[in-house]
Amino acid sequence: MTWLALTVASAVVAFVTSGAIAQDAVGPLGVVPDTVEIRIGAVIASNTGTDFDPRLVALRHQFNALFQYTSYQLLKEERQRVAWGGRAGFDIPGGRYVVVVPREYKNERVSMKVMVIEGTRPIIDTVLSLRDHATLLVGGPRQRDGVLILSIGADTPRVQP
Amino acid sequence: MQAAESPLSCKDVDGLLPLFLDGELDARQMRAVALHGSRCLECENEIRSLERLHVLIKSTVEEQLEAVDFSHFWNDLSAKLPPKRLSWATRLRSRWGDAEGFRFNPYVGLAAAAAAAALGFLLLNTPTTPTVQPAAQQVASQEDPASIDSLSSDVSSVAVVNDPETSTAVLWVSDDTVVDDGANR
Repeated sequence: MTWLALTVASAVVAFVTSGAIAQDAVGPLGVVPDTVEIRIGAVIASNTGTDFDPRLVALRHQFNALFQYTSYQLLKEERQRVAWGGRAGFDIPGGRYVVVVPREYKNERVSMKVMVIEGTRPIIDTVLSLRDHATLLVGGPRQRDGVLILSIGADTPRVQP
Repeated sequence: MQAAESPLSCKDVDGLLPLFLDGELDARQMRAVALHGSRCLECENEIRSLERLHVLIKSTVEEQLEAVDFSHFWNDLSAKLPPKRLSWATRLRSRWGDAEGFRFNPYVGLAAAAAAAALGFLLLNTPTTPTVQPAAQQVASQEDPASIDSLSSDVSSVAVVNDPETSTAVLWVSDDTVVDDGANR
């Protein structure tokens, strides 16, 4: 009688399989990417004028859906490719500084630490998981005659298994 | 009112580098080390060097793990077991097998497998990383563009908005401190 052995074996296989599904710590094509590209854009949003910086066309939909400003001007845009656990630092005009430390890639999300620092005080110090290719907007700090909006994204390369 | 911070020395930075590279320093220290690195070539080179080492170690360990052949593991292990000792499964099987009128029901096996799968899923999905900030707001949904594990700020309030439609998350701080970036001058 092998029924008991079969039952135990199937239970073990199911347990292991479910674990693999639950972990899902790999990229969209089954391979963990070695690096991640951090992209940062610094935007001044205001109600002075109606100019929309053409370089922000990729964010137009987000801005129109989420904010009510009439003018958006790109101050600075930068991309840095870093390894997991590495850091990407960005100087923002006006004395602010952004540090992004990508930690891991899991369930098609990038876990990372994000800090926005103004002078000596942290405006934002957060650890979050951002869906691959999604965008995080950090906004609100006053700058010039408008507000500063930082767009932060993390893109993993599509690695072939 | 915040106390003015004195700049870090190279010795200070050296002691903080492991935590800095792990992203475990608080925001002020992270900034202080990063700023020091941007102004001190020697320390910046040290940081870059440690980052490369970190990547190298990680990739080496991963390569070594991938190279390990587990295919013969169970066969080798079972070969090392004492040959005459009966396993618990054998003893249990013989006991149940002797029970009068007991017959194997395949649905029982399937149910056991399903229960084990559910248990495994639950166990392996249980978060093991403690939340850094107890007061942090958990914004968690598989559809949300971002889920916040911890959040702290020196400003009076921070609003969190997740907009799945635009695949965008927003952290909005209420801050009236005006900064001039010099573009108007």
